[in-house]
Amino acid sequence: MGTRRLAVGALAVAALTLAACSQGSATTGGGADAGGTGGSVTLKFQSLSDQPAAIAAVKDIVDSWNAAHPETKVEIVQAGWDGVYDKLVTQFNGNAAPDVIHYEAASIVPFARDGYLADLTSKIPAELKSDVDQGVWDSVTVDGKVVGVPTELQTYVVFANKKLIEAAGQQVPTGSSMTYDQFEALAKATTKSGQYGVSWGLKSPTATFMSLALASDGTYFEGTGKDAKITVGEGEMALPKLVKKMAYDDKSIDPVSLTQSGSQALASFYAGKAAMTVQGSYQAANMAKDAPAGVDWVELPPLAGSAGTKQAANPQTLSVNADSANVDRAAEFATYFADAENMATLNEADALIPASNKARATILSKTGGKDGWAMTMESAKGLTGAPFLTVDAYTQWKDTIATPNYQKYLANQIDDAGLQQALTDGFAQVNR
Amino acid sequence: MRTRPVVRVGQYLALAAYIVFLGFPLLWLVSASVKSSSELAALDMNVIPKSLNWGNYTEALQKQGLARSAVNSLIVSLLSMVLVVALSMPAAYALARFKGRLRTVGITWILVSQVFPVILIIIPLFLVLRQVALVDTLFGLVLVYTTFTMPFALWMLQGFVAAIPTDVEEAAAIDGATRFQTLRRIVFPLLMPGIVATAMFSFVAAWNEFFFALVLIQSPENYTLPVALKMFVGGEGKVALGPLAAGAVLATIPSLVIFSVLQRRLTGGLLTGSVKG
Repeated sequence: MGTRRLAVGALAVAALTLAACSQGSATTGGGADAGGTGGSVTLKFQSLSDQPAAIAAVKDIVDSWNAAHPETKVEIVQAGWDGVYDKLVTQFNGNAAPDVIHYEAASIVPFARDGYLADLTSKIPAELKSDVDQGVWDSVTVDGKVVGVPTELQTYVVFANKKLIEAAGQQVPTGSSMTYDQFEALAKATTKSGQYGVSWGLKSPTATFMSLALASDGTYFEGTGKDAKITVGEGEMALPKLVKKMAYDDKSIDPVSLTQSGSQALASFYAGKAAMTVQGSYQAANMAKDAPAGVDWVELPPLAGSAGTKQAANPQTLSVNADSANVDRAAEFATYFADAENMATLNEADALIPASNKARATILSKTGGKDGWAMTMESAKGLTGAPFLTVDAYTQWKDTIATPNYQKYLANQIDDAGLQQALTDGFAQVNR
Repeated sequence: MRTRPVVRVGQYLALAAYIVFLGFPLLWLVSASVKSSSELAALDMNVIPKSLNWGNYTEALQKQGLARSAVNSLIVSLLSMVLVVALSMPAAYALARFKGRLRTVGITWILVSQVFPVILIIIPLFLVLRQVALVDTLFGLVLVYTTFTMPFALWMLQGFVAAIPTDVEEAAAIDGATRFQTLRRIVFPLLMPGIVATAMFSFVAAWNEFFFALVLIQSPENYTLPVALKMFVGGEGKVALGPLAAGAVLATIPSLVIFSVLQRRLTGGLLTGSVKG
């Protein structure tokens, strides 16, 4: 009797488990059309848009797609930037990732190398291909395959308090670029008791240094993946050295700001304690909204080093899950999303730079270049693919080696040689 | 012995300073929640806002559906609290009272279970929950929280059981009480402060937990509060500080209410005089 009960119990457990398994595997929402050749399907689109206006813009784009494509319904799954990498790792490993994935170029590389992202190379329409600069395409190309559709970018730009510049007897720089020498001289000239020339939030300095180093031919890495080699030479050290010199020799950068975030450094600019501040270009929108009435702010021309106004293009991207049952339709949606008109609407809402030139022109004509848009678009001309984006151990190196050592360097705890050695040895350690 | 007035004044001053120290972050949070974005971006940090901006609360409630997330958090936290207490009570009693090899194994398991970082467990856990269709469900989250809170709750509760002198149980037995009666009428009431403390710990652990909820919950309608609050932190370093502060204030309220209800039962001294000696 006991054995029979045990057998019945085991069968019941097995049946329940099987039922649960069959339920659990239905995650793609692919509907009837597993092959993507016909019938109705529902695609899940994990969006990270966070600003209310951007969320509304994304919804409008998706609504217009759904109205025009009743056979391919797109469903937005709203997620947040914080922790999204870990979430995606789990989703991919658990075969439960959404069909269309919003993220950024620097972070999709490991997923692409592990084969989780579909190759979109042949699925990008020629018009979109030619409308986006090659440097931007390079940033989303892994092992020769395009693994993301670029949508939004930002650059690092200089904002200035016009009144403080003029009060120091200086002219506000104009034109299409401003050299680091001009920037340094302007910072010195506007530094006086109780006022610094620059407030620069470098609490997390790596991204800023890596991006702006390109203007001095500082590429840091050669090669891709695990074969990448690091060099920290003159080009790479040009900007950190300049910042340190301005902070400790010229005393034209507020040293406190070096330990602050960008937004915190903005506060001293608003308070008239600094004549200039270096920020992400999107801050122009916040300035237009929050700058006190007395602050007559202006965005200066992009900073230029020996190699021009180059900066790293690290666009936000739309990728397609390689395991999606509807890769073609998902790719079609991703390229629709990046259509010039949609991109302009989204980027204006997000205060970011569109990846496509047509969309940039649309925003420029719509805004008349006001609120910093003219200079922001000028700075976008220097955007280029950066070698560090395709280095496997980059994220680990950035978080565990580069950031703490740059912080020590900016705090004057290690010298140039110490920083160079720490960055080089550290990479060898994490890239083993 | 009477406390001298000077000492008493010193004690009150120290207490007042401590309360200010503890209360200041909350005060700052409330202040930030009603400031405009331009005031939050200003360098001068005044506690009293220049004007009251209730728009942050409206945005917090409308943008991320905080009310729905609060209900989700409440369901998950209360359920896991009840499960943790119900499951750990008998186990804690056994652990504290019955010495032997099994006890050593149990205690070792409790300690070892605290060693593993959750990032190590999340993928296998996700796969298992997916197989039983519990990913993206609040019940799945309850099971996970119960499992992960249990070891520490057990450890905590067995300490409270061990603190109850065995003499009181023996006295009850001599008076003719059965084992069950002893547990129900003697041990359980004496253990009440420990149960309340464990319940509070379980509730707070579930209420604050972020990582499991972030990974296991996919649909915004199932988000818990910590996940919903994180949505105010955007890419490129953008933070919606005002709505985030407003959301955090709202998120504190249910927790405070639960605490105010439970804390009255968290009184010590129940054992005072239970055993002469």
